[in-house]
Amino acid sequence: MRLWVSVALVVLASAANAEVLLSEDEIEQTLSFGPWPPSLQPDPSNRVSNDASAIALGAALFNDPLLSVDGAFACASCHDPEQAFTTTEARALGRVLLDRNTPSLRNLAGLRWYGWGGKSDNLWAASLHPIIADEEMAHSKESLKAAISDSPYINDFEKTFGEIQKQDPELVLVNTAKALSAFLETIITEATQFDGFRDALERGDFVEAANYPEAAQRGLQLFLGRGNCVFCHNGPRFSNNEFHDAGVPYFLNEAEVDEGRFGGLNILLSSEFTLDGDWSDDPDKQGAWAVRGVRRSHSDFGMFRTPSLRGVAETAPYMHNGNFIDLEAVIRHYSEIDIERLHADGEDILAKLSLSEQEIADLISFLVTLSSKP
Amino acid sequence: MLKYLPLFTLIMLSGTATADDRPIFDAHIHYSHDAVELVPPEQVAKILRDAGVRKALVSSSDDNGTQLLLDAAPDIVVPALRPYRRRGEINTWMHDETVVDYLESNLAKNEYEAIGEFHAYGNDIKTPVIQHMIALAKERNLILHHHGDREAVDLIFETWPEARVLWAHSGFTDPDSVVDALDTHPRLWADLAFRSDMISRGRIDPGWKAAFEAHPDRFMVGTDTFAPERWYYVGPHADYSREWLNQLPDQIADNIAYANAERMLASE
Repeated sequence: MRLWVSVALVVLASAANAEVLLSEDEIEQTLSFGPWPPSLQPDPSNRVSNDASAIALGAALFNDPLLSVDGAFACASCHDPEQAFTTTEARALGRVLLDRNTPSLRNLAGLRWYGWGGKSDNLWAASLHPIIADEEMAHSKESLKAAISDSPYINDFEKTFGEIQKQDPELVLVNTAKALSAFLETIITEATQFDGFRDALERGDFVEAANYPEAAQRGLQLFLGRGNCVFCHNGPRFSNNEFHDAGVPYFLNEAEVDEGRFGGLNILLSSEFTLDGDWSDDPDKQGAWAVRGVRRSHSDFGMFRTPSLRGVAETAPYMHNGNFIDLEAVIRHYSEIDIERLHADGEDILAKLSLSEQEIADLISFLVTLSSKP
Repeated sequence: MLKYLPLFTLIMLSGTATADDRPIFDAHIHYSHDAVELVPPEQVAKILRDAGVRKALVSSSDDNGTQLLLDAAPDIVVPALRPYRRRGEINTWMHDETVVDYLESNLAKNEYEAIGEFHAYGNDIKTPVIQHMIALAKERNLILHHHGDREAVDLIFETWPEARVLWAHSGFTDPDSVVDALDTHPRLWADLAFRSDMISRGRIDPGWKAAFEAHPDRFMVGTDTFAPERWYYVGPHADYSREWLNQLPDQIADNIAYANAERMLASE
């Protein structure tokens, strides 16, 4: 169980009397958040994963409005590389106001589910949907093929995927998405101040570890302990990548709601673009067990995917609908959570934390170190 | 192209869903204070009608929601009185003597078919507040819609052997245990709200199928609209219920869809 103070591990730092506040158990849990960056393997469902030409093509397409039917915007218009691959709007503005907050596109390689509702089980499918969504890029398969054919990228496209005129429009769509996916796999956040702390603990270098701010350490203790944030925000990405009801309302307007995972599963389970489908390049269908085995639950309705906390300080506003403008608002939500919204036999992990102002500040101090440089 | 497309999926796709028009008695509905503010009674009534819900056992925190919905859809709503003014009281209400005043006040001015859904586990049933509540139900021969464990179910029947008890969520226990409870208590019924384990990869779970065959006259379906947004799940849930029920013999399917709830209400 948690030990809030472990005298054995209190180490005086040479300069400022700083110390490691964590107990042995807390240190062990902290080590589970790394190492970072993780070692990643190419995506077997995408034959151009980790291919330099495809990555370059994907990067160019990502930034070019060619991928919207009328040249209105590029992927980068909403996933702005200068803003951590998101924007500051609460809900994304495509051709209309969309239903959800724009997710950051960092650290996406190798996830089990993609999107707030998990409508994809692979990154190339997740890259494909916005291209043909009427509210977003609004291409048809045919218009996309024509756009790629007439673009400056045709040579690079054909170098990677072969002669375009021999490709069915749907294949052009999938290939385009796979080039985008190859690029997106390369977007990985750098090691942070937290990682420096974590790695020092792993080395047993408590003098170095003691340089990590005490406020951040107290915040980490809350994260692991009374807050139990780690229950969902775990592993090197600080996310279990599954779906939960965090007590955030999900009305879209007076007569519509965001169905969350329920809607995501509807799309996933009728999609031809899954790891179990013929568009996967992996003959062994690795990872397809998830889509084959996923089970529906009534609690899917209104659940959303746990976001990663890496780089979280750079991606405000927060939650599936951008409901909270900053980290303090998020923490206050969990501190004062309206448990009446939650089913009595549902997310019983959540409870009103009633955090003090100091505790809120400490948690923010910790979360900020998931973004800052070491 | 798909290697696998479960039958269960088909019913969840909006617009393609229903296998038939089997009516539904939704035995687990709440229309609580926050839902009242966000989804007007007329809209709620429309949701129920559009979903093909013939009747709905409605209880709310506070009771105002039930009364508003009863006015908007008197042909559908079967009113139940919940002993909570706010849902947050579910863990504390049995120790709050003002609950008795709240119950008596509402029972004096409104008509109800049931008291509940109330949460109580084990010896909670022995608290004076719950004992008083059971006595009030006994005076009026009201059904008790109980959310809790088997021990509490046993204690309710120990307190009032002739009670009619609807076990919310079938106690969130396994089908064999539900069957045992139904074997033990002939006046116990069980709703299946917020449970998905009856279906596994599009097929009815063998354990549940055996339970439905052992007690074809005791189960019923329910949505459990525990948060305002959940009202928009009533339609998909009705479609879901029709689809899995369609895998059962018609007589059992009709029973679980609506007839068991109607017979429970009509029973003495």
